[in-house]
Amino acid sequence: MGESFLSADWYRVAPLKCRLRAHVEIHRQRFRGQTWHLVQDHHTGKFHRITPAANLIVCLMDGRRTLQELWEEACERFEDEPPTQSEVIKLLSQLHAADLIAGDIPPDMGEMGRRHSKQERQAMLARLRNPLALRFSVFDPDAFLNATVWLVRPFFTVWGLLAWLGLVGTGAAFAAIHWAELTDNLADRVLTAENGLLIALAYPLVKAIHELGHAYAAKIWGGEVHEIGIMFLVLIPVPYVDASTSSAFPEKRRRIVVGAAGIMVELALAAGATLVWVHAESGILTAFMFNVMLIGGVSTLFFNGNPLLRFDGYFVLCDLIEIPNLGTRSNKYFWYLVQTYALGVPEVESPVSAQGERGWLLFYAVTSFFYRIFISIAISLFIATKFFVIGVILAIWAISNVFLLPVAKGLKFMFVSPKLRGRRTRATVLAATSLGCMALALFALPVPYATVAHGVVWLEDRAILRARAEGFVAEVVTERGEVITGETILRLEDPVLASETEITLARLDELRLRLASVLLIDLVQANLLREQIRHFEGKLELATARSEALTLKAGRPGWVLVPGASDMIGRMFREGEVVGYLLDQADLRLRVAVDQDQAELVRGRTGGVEVLLQRDLTHPVMAHLSRNVPESRAQLPSPALSTSAGGEFALDPTDTEGRRTLQRVFQFEVIPDEPLPVSYIGERALVRFDHGHEPLGFRFLRSLRQLFLRQFDV
Amino acid sequence: MSKAALHSQGIPRLQLPRPRFYAERQDQQESKYDQMGRRVAASVVTRMVPLRSARLRAIVPATKKYAQEMRAASDAELQQIAVDQRRALRVAMTSGEPGVAAIAPAFALVREAAERTLGFRHHDVQLLGAWAMMKGMVAEMNTGEGKTLCATLAASAAALSGWPVHVITVNDYLAKYGAEAMTPLYRFLGLSVGVVQAGQDFETRRQIYARDVVYCTNKELAFDYLRDRMEVRNRLGNLRRKVECLTGEAMRPNLRLRGLHFAIVDEADSVLIDEARTPLIISGQISSDGGVDTALFETAMEAARDLKEGRHFRIPKDEKRIELLDPGTDLLDDLGDEGTGAFRVRVIREHTVKQALSALHLFHRGEEYILRDDEVQIVDEYTGRVMADRSWSEGLHQMVELKEGLEPTPPRETQSRITYQRFFRRYVKLAGMTGTASDAAWELWSVYRLAIARIPTHRPDIRTFGRDRLYASEAAKWTAITERVAELHRQSKPVLLGTRSVAASEEASHLLEQLGIPHQVLSASQDSNEAAIIGRAGEAGRVTVATNMAGRGVDIQLDTGINERGGLHVILSERHDSRRIDRQLEGRCGRQGERGRVEAFLSLEDELMRGQAAALPRRLATVFFAFGLRRAAVRCMRFRQKQVEGTHGRMRRDLLDSDRNLGQLLAVSGELE
Repeated sequence: MGESFLSADWYRVAPLKCRLRAHVEIHRQRFRGQTWHLVQDHHTGKFHRITPAANLIVCLMDGRRTLQELWEEACERFEDEPPTQSEVIKLLSQLHAADLIAGDIPPDMGEMGRRHSKQERQAMLARLRNPLALRFSVFDPDAFLNATVWLVRPFFTVWGLLAWLGLVGTGAAFAAIHWAELTDNLADRVLTAENGLLIALAYPLVKAIHELGHAYAAKIWGGEVHEIGIMFLVLIPVPYVDASTSSAFPEKRRRIVVGAAGIMVELALAAGATLVWVHAESGILTAFMFNVMLIGGVSTLFFNGNPLLRFDGYFVLCDLIEIPNLGTRSNKYFWYLVQTYALGVPEVESPVSAQGERGWLLFYAVTSFFYRIFISIAISLFIATKFFVIGVILAIWAISNVFLLPVAKGLKFMFVSPKLRGRRTRATVLAATSLGCMALALFALPVPYATVAHGVVWLEDRAILRARAEGFVAEVVTERGEVITGETILRLEDPVLASETEITLARLDELRLRLASVLLIDLVQANLLREQIRHFEGKLELATARSEALTLKAGRPGWVLVPGASDMIGRMFREGEVVGYLLDQADLRLRVAVDQDQAELVRGRTGGVEVLLQRDLTHPVMAHLSRNVPESRAQLPSPALSTSAGGEFALDPTDTEGRRTLQRVFQFEVIPDEPLPVSYIGERALVRFDHGHEPLGFRFLRSLRQLFLRQFDV
Repeated sequence: MSKAALHSQGIPRLQLPRPRFYAERQDQQESKYDQMGRRVAASVVTRMVPLRSARLRAIVPATKKYAQEMRAASDAELQQIAVDQRRALRVAMTSGEPGVAAIAPAFALVREAAERTLGFRHHDVQLLGAWAMMKGMVAEMNTGEGKTLCATLAASAAALSGWPVHVITVNDYLAKYGAEAMTPLYRFLGLSVGVVQAGQDFETRRQIYARDVVYCTNKELAFDYLRDRMEVRNRLGNLRRKVECLTGEAMRPNLRLRGLHFAIVDEADSVLIDEARTPLIISGQISSDGGVDTALFETAMEAARDLKEGRHFRIPKDEKRIELLDPGTDLLDDLGDEGTGAFRVRVIREHTVKQALSALHLFHRGEEYILRDDEVQIVDEYTGRVMADRSWSEGLHQMVELKEGLEPTPPRETQSRITYQRFFRRYVKLAGMTGTASDAAWELWSVYRLAIARIPTHRPDIRTFGRDRLYASEAAKWTAITERVAELHRQSKPVLLGTRSVAASEEASHLLEQLGIPHQVLSASQDSNEAAIIGRAGEAGRVTVATNMAGRGVDIQLDTGINERGGLHVILSERHDSRRIDRQLEGRCGRQGERGRVEAFLSLEDELMRGQAAALPRRLATVFFAFGLRRAAVRCMRFRQKQVEGTHGRMRRDLLDSDRNLGQLLAVSGELE
């Protein structure tokens, strides 16, 4: 429905003689080379942006000329793009709704009352709609600011800026130097109880100074600041200040400074705190300063400075790229694109009013949408973990605002909007097809599904070769390779044992001779010697056995591995010490640590298993899961699987052994089906558990369920 | 004395109505949820017709209780009773919702008075109808059930209570006929009657509107109201108006009506629904000749003649509007650069060219307008009547004049505007009667809060319906129709041939002439004696060709002996845009249990099946027809009819919506009309 030039309702307004009311001020601003006018309402503190043509009409409203005259004049002046009558009526009705104009006819009291109550209701609804950011006005700081503004005036000069740069630069430099100390064990230091108290003290203080920054910045250039209050952001009280008068500033630079003042103040605070932290003795003061640095440096940049949230960063960005009202208009632009190109609705009004806005609008629409979803869910989950019932209610509320409201609006547009008349079928088919495709892709299109986990090569005890007697290595016969039963693997020698044997043999000879000499003479003596001979014979037998044990032979056929064989000659092994391994294929196992989220899947739905040794990722080896029930415990099979060794599991920092984990881990045993070219035991391997094919949607649902299970222990 | 004491002595507490200056209902401020709720409620309310009809029955025995007493009274005594009843009725009507006990004696009185003055007594079903109207409903009564007489019951009862009553009809003739026929009754009861007719001056109207019961057409009434509103609007607030009455600054002398109290709308569906698609506009000559000039119109017309449909512009299906395409605007931009004056301004240029294109492609001589005395005169889409004093706005009228090679008249300027929806919703009490309300029940409730009460017929309906005959082409259909008419004519049966438009009527007349069948055509040019023509349509062997609206409300009296021969034959030559209009035409025969027959002749080339929007049903119907499945093909046509009904319903809803928004949008300019 194109807007026609003339309006059937024009006769109603044509004879009106309106005048602008006293509390209205108009400011001229330039955005992207175009002139716009900002109508400021000093009563409500609201702004209305109007086009030059509208501005002409508004400016000419003196209570003497009729609207017809004004319109004709505007048409003459703006010959190329004259304002249509409907546009003028719309403008007039907006001005009237905002109480900016007075007419020459008596006001309709009933209508005014209705309008007022409607505005109140809308304000109320706006609060309800956003329970995560409730605002409560506290007092009017204007007089206070006026009285104290001289104090801060020096800061808003070139010298002030230089000083700020210097301070922040120094702070940054110090922070960089002490980076390791600053970040060491960060989580532990921040999340302790006493630190919580310090944060609770520092946070409001820093934020209050932040807000004062905005207020003074606005004040310096003649703005008015009439509202300071407390906002409950995600239930945490934060001060806020209404510095919106700054949007009337004609200079872009000043608007940006007002917007950025808060962040700048916080950064300065953080820099100062860094200096104190570096130079002061460790104690409560440094701990406090540390928190100031944390709030002023980190949280400000990521929170206030983030243009995707509607805080300082957003307003700075708007002014920086000269696209006022970026958020709303980017949404509009997105819908404009959908309507024009996807649905083919003609004559949709594009919110783009200047060159180069398109890219920004589209970019912002998409990124902020996803960011909003992300942050809503994150915040809701956070609250829900703290206060379950309130949190869940809030979460449902927030999520329905982000998801359901747009969906409901979309549906309403689909079925009711007059814009789609004649195109409803096309729109419905298009929406249904795209939704269908999405559903199909999510829930019907099978996608290979596998879990990849880290494991270590592991052995059964009987595969370990141990030295059977103490000795020095004389020769390594088989370093690695197949052996048959009885084949020598390693020879040890024990010089002491050899000489002992010789001595024993000599003593035996001696004793035997002595026995022969006394045998017939002295029976008692002979028996004594006989006993001694028996003793030495036993000793000899033992020595022989030991020397035999020095030669390590394969007890069964298999595959031998003697690690570090080349350095082994002359090395001493005690009895029972591990010398090498004799592997049967049945002995080789992999111990795989699996996250508890995946454990159920790995246990219940594993088809094939593939093992890739970390050393050689190109040759997968097939394997299967052992039938043993996996163990669930907060321990890793090997420190090699911890984060410090490049694995996935974070270790408990208090554990000295380096195997205890923070979360529970499932240990699975995997048995390779083919010989595994293992080079050493404890070697890391990637193990891929194949779960066949599954559409992505089900996976998503599963992760969601697990997320809930984990978050709420339900 | 306390209230309780008053009651105990049996004296009814007299509650005076709150004095209002220019009674009318305030425009309701409906939020979105109100509207949604109303729509939901409407679908429930419309399903409760039988329940409502059943609850009305109590009035019949209650009225009969007084019959004996009334019959026994002499004329003078009866008139005294009328005077005595006024006070009781006034009390009963204070709330606007009188009970059976209060109204039954009044109905008995009017019934008796009617028998003495007019010679007929109201049937029981008419009592039911009148009672439904007293309760603010639409009484659905078949044609010929005596709606005019029925209305007198409700009108008299309300008028006796002191409420000014407007009986609203669709044309001047019916207003006049209704008033004249019933005057003796009203006069007997001591009530004054007036008839508003076109052409009456301000003072006459003022006097007529001051009477107890006023018969008028919806258009005259709405325009008079609109003119009043132009005055009232400048004095905001009822209290202020009343104070001004006291201080002598009163504007009373400038007003025609006394307010909107109680309206009984005859043919409620066509007045409240069919005609509600276009708002009423009062316009005047532009005082200064600034703005649009003739040269601009001429340049735009020249440019428009060069544009081609499909390439430069398109006409969206189902909608009467022009959409300029990109090549069209490019061409116009080039022309604009060469042009002079206002034509150089893009918005003005495109607007005027669009109007020129509308004049060329959407408005056709003989359908939307006719030429009379070198003047373009608008033909009302529904009545086929020429609207001499009306003109199109925004330069369209001038474009049509240019198209016809006439000198363009100076453009006129809107001074006041109102929609029927807003106008009728302002009545403190609204009631209606019609033969065909049930198809519109939902809309009547959701827009006007009018519920429907189905009133049984006095005698059973014995009309017969022929099966719909379907032909492939328009020509074949008309051959069949003329043959059928000729056959019936030979049997000297009366035939009423209903057409869709004035042009179709003329075509039919031409065909009948070729066959030498004598016939009468009701068309725009003969509106003075149409009631007479339609009134005689029941004579033996008479063939009458008429559009559905022509002569509505006039009973077709059958000649003696015709009833035995099968009564009036109604032939529908086409389906209309809405089933209701078809039913209105079908209702022309079979009045008061007379015989009658209805036959419909349709073709796949009918107006209903033309255009892009009808493509799907048309193709289906053609396929079904080719396979001999005529029923299915006819069903396709009904489907298409439903589509069109939907489109029109939506247009009315849009109008209502924009009307609602208007109040907010134009709040700056004070109250709406």
